[in-house]
Amino acid sequence: MNIQTKDHRYLRLFLFTLTACLSSTGLTAQQATSSRSDLWWAPGEDRPLPAYIEYANDYGRVGLLNSSGTVVTDGHPFFEALGTNGRGCVTCHQPADAMSVSVATIQQRWQDTNGTDPLFAAIDGMDCPNLTPGEENSHSLLLKRGLFRVALPWPPQNAEAEFDIEVVRDPTGCNTGPVYGLEGERQEISVYRRPRPAINLRYVTSSRFGVSPFIGKTGMLATLDPDTGRPVNMNMMADARDVTLKQQAQSAAHGHMEVAQPLTPSQLSRIQEFELQLYGAQAWSNGGGALNEPGGPSGIGPQAMANGSDGVLGNNTTRYVFPMENKWADLPEGSSVEEASRNAFLESVQRGHDNFFYRTFWIKDATHINTVGLGNPIKRTCATCHGMHMTGMDTANGWMDLGTTNYPWALEPPESPWSVEAPEMPLFKISCRADLPPHAFLGRTIYTQDPGRALISGKCEDVGAIVIQQFRGLSARAPYFSNGSAANLRELVDFYDRRFNIRYTEQEKTDLVNFLSIL
Amino acid sequence: MKPTIKTLISLSLASATGSLIAAPDPGERISFVSCPIVRDTVSVPCWLSDYDGDTYYLTIQSDVSASVQPPLLGHQLLVEGVVTDEPAICGGIVMEDVHLTAMPELDANCNTMLPVDERYVIDFNPRPPGPSAGRLAFDPAPGAPREEPPAPQGPQTFDIYFDFDKGISFRHPRFLQQIFTTAGKLKPSRMTVTGVRGAHLLSNGTLLQEAENTGHRRAEEVAGLLQDAGIEVNTDIQWIDARAEADGVDDWQSRRVTVTLTP
Repeated sequence: MNIQTKDHRYLRLFLFTLTACLSSTGLTAQQATSSRSDLWWAPGEDRPLPAYIEYANDYGRVGLLNSSGTVVTDGHPFFEALGTNGRGCVTCHQPADAMSVSVATIQQRWQDTNGTDPLFAAIDGMDCPNLTPGEENSHSLLLKRGLFRVALPWPPQNAEAEFDIEVVRDPTGCNTGPVYGLEGERQEISVYRRPRPAINLRYVTSSRFGVSPFIGKTGMLATLDPDTGRPVNMNMMADARDVTLKQQAQSAAHGHMEVAQPLTPSQLSRIQEFELQLYGAQAWSNGGGALNEPGGPSGIGPQAMANGSDGVLGNNTTRYVFPMENKWADLPEGSSVEEASRNAFLESVQRGHDNFFYRTFWIKDATHINTVGLGNPIKRTCATCHGMHMTGMDTANGWMDLGTTNYPWALEPPESPWSVEAPEMPLFKISCRADLPPHAFLGRTIYTQDPGRALISGKCEDVGAIVIQQFRGLSARAPYFSNGSAANLRELVDFYDRRFNIRYTEQEKTDLVNFLSIL
Repeated sequence: MKPTIKTLISLSLASATGSLIAAPDPGERISFVSCPIVRDTVSVPCWLSDYDGDTYYLTIQSDVSASVQPPLLGHQLLVEGVVTDEPAICGGIVMEDVHLTAMPELDANCNTMLPVDERYVIDFNPRPPGPSAGRLAFDPAPGAPREEPPAPQGPQTFDIYFDFDKGISFRHPRFLQQIFTTAGKLKPSRMTVTGVRGAHLLSNGTLLQEAENTGHRRAEEVAGLLQDAGIEVNTDIQWIDARAEADGVDDWQSRRVTVTLTP
């Protein structure tokens, strides 16, 4: 192994001769030089994306595997600047960040370019397009929490709204402004969300499980793939507004890249083709070493993602969500300090897995899990909601209100005469219609930072419901949750501990963080 | 919708010891609104409800394949069932032909969670409180033959049942799919959708009715869904009030939409 890093935080590009890893994958090793410019992948760079490459992060290294081989990026629509603002898909889907973009990378890019990189484009890289470009305050949500502005029409275009929205708090000024505000010229609502990782999308878009013309959790009509006319799983975006890779690409080209003309069918096909062959997962753990060694757990590492079956329910003891076969349980103490430390870490990972899979707690007042026939509360485990094999996503149509954006569970700074922390996120008051049944757990008045799926469906019951994300590559792409409210893996675990009164021990939290870090 | 709970009861080895329950007469049909109660056990939780000085066992947690699905804390619960003389489960009087529906408005008083009490043991365990063994609790066993329904001939009628005051929900995809599939085979020329505003005569003599516009709203919603799904035929949308039907016997059936496909 040849790890070259100049800077603990930012020089995360790990370029290597991947003998050990690739001996198990059968892939050709790629080599490249390590430099700061290699870390950031700008649109239009003429360099190939190797068949397999690893990038360092705080927990080890994430591996990306192009199952179709080396990708020639020159002229490739995913990697070219297609829009008028200089962005390409790759701007917000960085290889080093498991094809998302971490807040650490965003901050580094700000420093490197004085905020002039297309990443900070006014359309969504600023808190509101009418702010002064180049000033940190104008980009505060992107710089602090990795959030991009998502502007959506209100009321929804294809559904009847069951509720009214008022802007209660508007720290960005966007939702009350004369142009971009809810009652402004454009009649938009601005919410702020993290970009999702463009890896393992064969799993994310699979329609092999739970897909039918009528949505399993709500009975409403599933959205159809415009190319095939068939219902799809609606599990890709936070609010499921675009349901196919081509739709998402077209929508992103318009909304994020500001293209002058829609993408062509050829461009869309190439983007889709690239995305469906790309896999990613943590490949090396600082604590546990190589994660894809022969004889190791079958569900860990990028090669496992390429080998795995999509559209399979894993919340069972026949397939498992993340198959580990107890390979890291009861390891020997080791003949050296290093080996003992490694084995202790891997045992912690195994315990974290077992906790995720078997440790019960009360899941209460979570819409679209407690309202779908299981009861409120249910005594279950993490894997109940995060049940899909290999990704930990929910089953098809997996939007759910876990409380990440809805009051009282959403992250809010303490409000007091002594508080120095100002709220960063907008706050909306949702008033559900009196002639319809109320939201099952929040009633007819709901406060939220992001109404989530409800902005598309218009349903009161969908307020704050967000499509569950995949678990892979977490170490490379903090912060977490759609609104970036968990800065790191520990905060992610702590959120669930608070939300469901789980009362994890410190050891359980450590084990869970270690487990999540190797996915 | 018929009594799978009875099957559950017959399989149950659960018992309550140390307490005698003054049960109503077996066979007595009861209908009441009360708060649900969840009692933890060393396996899956069980659900209870108190009414008129007695505690009734409702169901246990399993999975989405259960015919009697657990209620919601935070809401009152409308219970319909027939009292049996089966051994108590979780300390509750066992009923058969149980139908449960959450009342839509929130009620913060309905928040009782009871801890594990070793006197109450659920050892009928269709689904543990974690990962399954690879199949749903109440699905047919693997390899069980699935009967193919005969090709539809003549008008086809479907009843879809609803939660109190509610519209389409998780309960309905398979029924909507059944109508959709039948329409594909039957090629109907007309569809009639009749929404019913349900009514219940409770055991205490109270008449409990759904919100006034419920029948209309349900009919419009179901008709719209089926039309949008592709059943593009002339559609009559009707709605009626079930108040006169309410007699305390299977009143849950009044919360419904009836769809008729006519060739």
